[in-house]
Amino acid sequence: MSSSDPRTITRPDNSLLTYYTLVSLISLVFFPFVFIPLYVRFRTLRYRFDDDGVSMTWGLLFHKEVYLTYRRIQDIHVTRNLIERWMGLAKMPIQTASGTSGATMNIEGIRNPEPLRDFLYARMRGARADQGSEIHATAVGNDALTILTEIRDSLREIKQKGHNAP
Amino acid sequence: MLSSLFKVPEHPPNLPVEPGDFIASFHPSERYLSYLKLYFWILFVFIDVGLLIGWGALYSASQDLALWLALPFIILAIVPDIVAYVMIHLRYDTMWYVMTDRSLRCRRGIWIIFEHTITFENVQNVHVKRGPVQYFFDISTVVVETAGAETGGEGQSVGNQAIMEGLSNADEIREMIMSRVDMSKTAGLGDERIHAQNTTAWSVAEMDALREIRDAVRDL
Repeated sequence: MSSSDPRTITRPDNSLLTYYTLVSLISLVFFPFVFIPLYVRFRTLRYRFDDDGVSMTWGLLFHKEVYLTYRRIQDIHVTRNLIERWMGLAKMPIQTASGTSGATMNIEGIRNPEPLRDFLYARMRGARADQGSEIHATAVGNDALTILTEIRDSLREIKQKGHNAP
Repeated sequence: MLSSLFKVPEHPPNLPVEPGDFIASFHPSERYLSYLKLYFWILFVFIDVGLLIGWGALYSASQDLALWLALPFIILAIVPDIVAYVMIHLRYDTMWYVMTDRSLRCRRGIWIIFEHTITFENVQNVHVKRGPVQYFFDISTVVVETAGAETGGEGQSVGNQAIMEGLSNADEIREMIMSRVDMSKTAGLGDERIHAQNTTAWSVAEMDALREIRDAVRDL
């Protein structure tokens, strides 16, 4: 999986399954109960990063899909515990301004999260100057003013000439 | 050695900025470290005096048993303190704040490393907190809140609060953030900026027409 362009990310990294297995092993006798839902989650987890937003789907019996637009992202977190750091994985909880507690979308199993985070950050509101189109608009407006002034001046000149001629 | 075992990131956190733009990354104030150590010493004295009294009581009851248990008592008294002391330094060293003109990123944590990124455009409010002990050390905590989903409580992992602890220049930072927030025209809820000027501006075709009129008038 290449993480150079986040738009190519569709699946979590395979090492996420290893991580899930390790996490499940901690629960000892409850291993199957913890592992099976996580396994289903891993198998069915899909990401889609498009131009405006990102969607994440998972679940077999209880299917879930979360979609959010980049512009509405409020917080980007990256959390890595010790096991995840050893494996080079990271979680990326992303929040919008919804009222639910916890992260709106919890992107998991991303190797080298920095390019993806920079990708999301650059599309967040306020991460870069947004006034591009406004500046352009005022520039055109100023041009129009210049031309209009020139027209007025030319008309005055003509009027002057008309007064002087007869 | 420790940092490679714990896979601590080698570099301070960074934020993508345009070249030439303001960016600063810093630890909390040195005084924050002293503040943490004060609590450490209070706890240290409290627990170790307690252990000493316990051992003294045991000694008066049974000298042999007390001498046998002297070594475990000493280990119990010293090892947690060393660990706690190292943890304080690790905690301080892993706390990083990165500020640019537009955004803030905080990193903290030893076992779990949290990194939180927000843009000032989305900030809802900023509060500065200072307790009596912090007052003594002249440091404050700045909490920057966005409209993001609720926190699970103070200092929780993934909330909407970017918490900057142990700042000696908290007022400066609050002013800087609030000035950025004031400049923003929107509510910081992801609203699109309304391009009102676009509708009143001249289109390219209109500009061409204007130029033609000007040239025609000049030729009169």
